[in-house]
Amino acid sequence: MVGPRRTARLLDALQLALVVVILVAPVAWMVASAFKPRTEVAAIPPRIIFTPTLENFVELFQRTDFLENTLNSLIVAGGSTILGLVLAFPAAFAMSWHRMTWPATATLFARMAPGTLFLLPWLVMFTWLGLVGSHLALILTHAVITLPVAIWVLLPYFDALPREIIESAEIDGCRQHQTLLRVALPMVAPGVVVAAILCFVFSWNYFLFALVLSGFDSKTAIVASFNFIGEGVTNWGALMAAATVIALPPLILTLIIQRRLVGGLSAGAVKG
Amino acid sequence: MSATAVAGTVARPARLRRRPTASFRWMVAPALLFAAGMIVLPFGWAIWLSLQETMIGGEARFIGLDNYRRLIADDEFWNGFRLTIVLWLLSLALQLVLGTWLGLLLARLDAARGLIRTVLISPFMLPPVVIGMMAIVILDPGLGVANWLLKEAGLPQLLFLADPDTVILTVALLDTWQWTPFVALIVLGGYLSLPRDVFEAAEIDGARAWQRFRRITLPLLAPTLVTAAVLRSVDLLRFFDVIYITTQGGPGHASTTLNILAYRRGFEFFEFGYAAALMVTLSAIVFGSVLTFARLRRAVAW
Repeated sequence: MVGPRRTARLLDALQLALVVVILVAPVAWMVASAFKPRTEVAAIPPRIIFTPTLENFVELFQRTDFLENTLNSLIVAGGSTILGLVLAFPAAFAMSWHRMTWPATATLFARMAPGTLFLLPWLVMFTWLGLVGSHLALILTHAVITLPVAIWVLLPYFDALPREIIESAEIDGCRQHQTLLRVALPMVAPGVVVAAILCFVFSWNYFLFALVLSGFDSKTAIVASFNFIGEGVTNWGALMAAATVIALPPLILTLIIQRRLVGGLSAGAVKG
Repeated sequence: MSATAVAGTVARPARLRRRPTASFRWMVAPALLFAAGMIVLPFGWAIWLSLQETMIGGEARFIGLDNYRRLIADDEFWNGFRLTIVLWLLSLALQLVLGTWLGLLLARLDAARGLIRTVLISPFMLPPVVIGMMAIVILDPGLGVANWLLKEAGLPQLLFLADPDTVILTVALLDTWQWTPFVALIVLGGYLSLPRDVFEAAEIDGARAWQRFRRITLPLLAPTLVTAAVLRSVDLLRFFDVIYITTQGGPGHASTTLNILAYRRGFEFFEFGYAAALMVTLSAIVFGSVLTFARLRRAVAW
């Protein structure tokens, strides 16, 4: 009885090892290529052993505007995360308290429409307002991504709040916004952290809106990287260095909250 | 009827019967206002645009449903429709089958923790542009490592994204690489919430592994799988970023899915009216599929 069991377990472990290799190998190849000397990046046969160098990163940051692009990404992702949370926090509290379901359903439906649909009127709208190429336009449009995510992540945390605590704060004469900030906020703080991180990652990763609405001064690192491809960059080392840089923030941030991540994702339903 | 209503009132906990204290409803207002300006208004505007003929530099002209009539007669639309459906079904099938397999594997090994969990989560947290950049370098027909591996294994070389015959399959495989772990983690979550005793009873009754999977695990997992299918379908039907980053819809029109077609019409040719009609049609397809899945979910509920 022990024999077949052990064989089955060994077979399972082998399958899992294969999955891990398939998932890790491309990312490992990307990082390795970023540290390869220029002459060896595209060598055939591929070099597994090489002397790591930082020359690709030096070239990326010195010969292009990638540093500014990265700062733009930080501004846009940070701004839309804050805006999304500021809007979502009171809304999610009220939705949970009054058991309103329609705003959640409505936001979900809005999130299903293709981003291109909104982009067309936005382009007209922001051109008219003179905001095309500004950080503000990107923060506003990315908040369309972050707001539903924040609402859906926060709702279960508010649902778990004991109603008596809010009611007794009422009775003690707490103003409504004080109830929200002094009583509810500390109790759902873990949820706010999860929501903030997911919002930041989704905004950081988002490609389409900045592709059309960003200008020279607001171009995000994501769009800049796409432009490197378009320019027919033959220097794969610098390309992979850029990919490594923009992959880092999402990877590090999701590492922090990975335990709560999948529930939040399937509730918050899909990226843009 | 009235008897149940009365019973319902009586059975209610006292806490809920108490008169509601203050109303917090106004706290939804800022989010609603934002949604009205950034989502509802543009949505209506896009529908309005789809009823107009727009020319660069010229006045917009109301033309009713002409853009939709043009769309029905447009070969590019039907090409995009076909590619969208093929990419959707291919990717969805791959991800559901592999995701179920991987999810149950993780459950048997109790392995979705620590480093393994990080490895599983990383792909779908990566920016799509990174997936595209990796694909361009790894799948390069001449200098990519993928073709070198194929050659060393004695297999024929492939053009991957550069061949009209393989580009959709390649994109489907890229998406499968990225999102199968997500489906697997949802399946794992669903599996762990199932009642244990059913599986134990089946094992005691001597059901074989395949029978247990086919007759017990799969039906019980069906609602979970439908949820995963909805989440992936919404993304797949309006798939944009990885395709646009790697091929911009090419070679030729071989990967010009509906969303890519709509984007190119709108933002490369500036045919706003026609592009809007394409986008509205695509939205209807996405909503329709979600509603269909919602009915399916009720059908497989247990």
